[in-house]
Amino acid sequence: MAQRSRESHIAFLLVVGLLGWFVPGGGHLVINEKKHAIIIFVAIALTFAAGLYIGSIGVINPVGAKPWYVAQIMNSPAVAAIGRITASGNYPVFGRPNEIGQIYTSIAGLLNLLCIVNAVYWAHLRRTGDAGE
Amino acid sequence: MSTIAAFIMATFTTPENIGVTPQSMLWLLPLVASISIVYKTTKLPKIRFTNFVKETVVLFGSIVIFMTITALVLVAFAWLVTE
Repeated sequence: MAQRSRESHIAFLLVVGLLGWFVPGGGHLVINEKKHAIIIFVAIALTFAAGLYIGSIGVINPVGAKPWYVAQIMNSPAVAAIGRITASGNYPVFGRPNEIGQIYTSIAGLLNLLCIVNAVYWAHLRRTGDAGE
Repeated sequence: MSTIAAFIMATFTTPENIGVTPQSMLWLLPLVASISIVYKTTKLPKIRFTNFVKETVVLFGSIVIFMTITALVLVAFAWLVTE
């Protein structure tokens, strides 16, 4: 019985983490933190969109800028779809727009990673009955 | 494809024209605002508008002031080395 409860707890944490990755703020929405979820979604989506606006979708470059791409894909799996489009090299971007665009999109991804960890942590605390926030 | 959709697509497939100028450093401000907002969202268990805005503004100001001080120290150091 305890084993089953533990398994369902781990499955719930996985669902929270995955939803947070699929849609920024999704993890917080699952644990009934609507205000947190809305603020996180708007802030991260705007930061990511600003990065794409400044540098174009060419800043997502899974071939020539892999370390940046690892941070960018933390935004959502949808980034991989953009990466497939830009991998052909048809959207070149250089100089300051490239730098600023990469920094914006990568920071947005790392912020989403922070939110995923935070949502999973809160979900764990609530399930184990430890309110310690 | 409608004209509006084509225009929106075009804005995300062509980079903006940003030169390497001191003014381009101002692009850090929206990013710092975003970092402050998201960080404070993860830190505050209950979000009340006034408290949230206050905490976010304090963090935003702290980051900007610290970066300005760091920049000034680096400029002073570069000046001392090159003079």
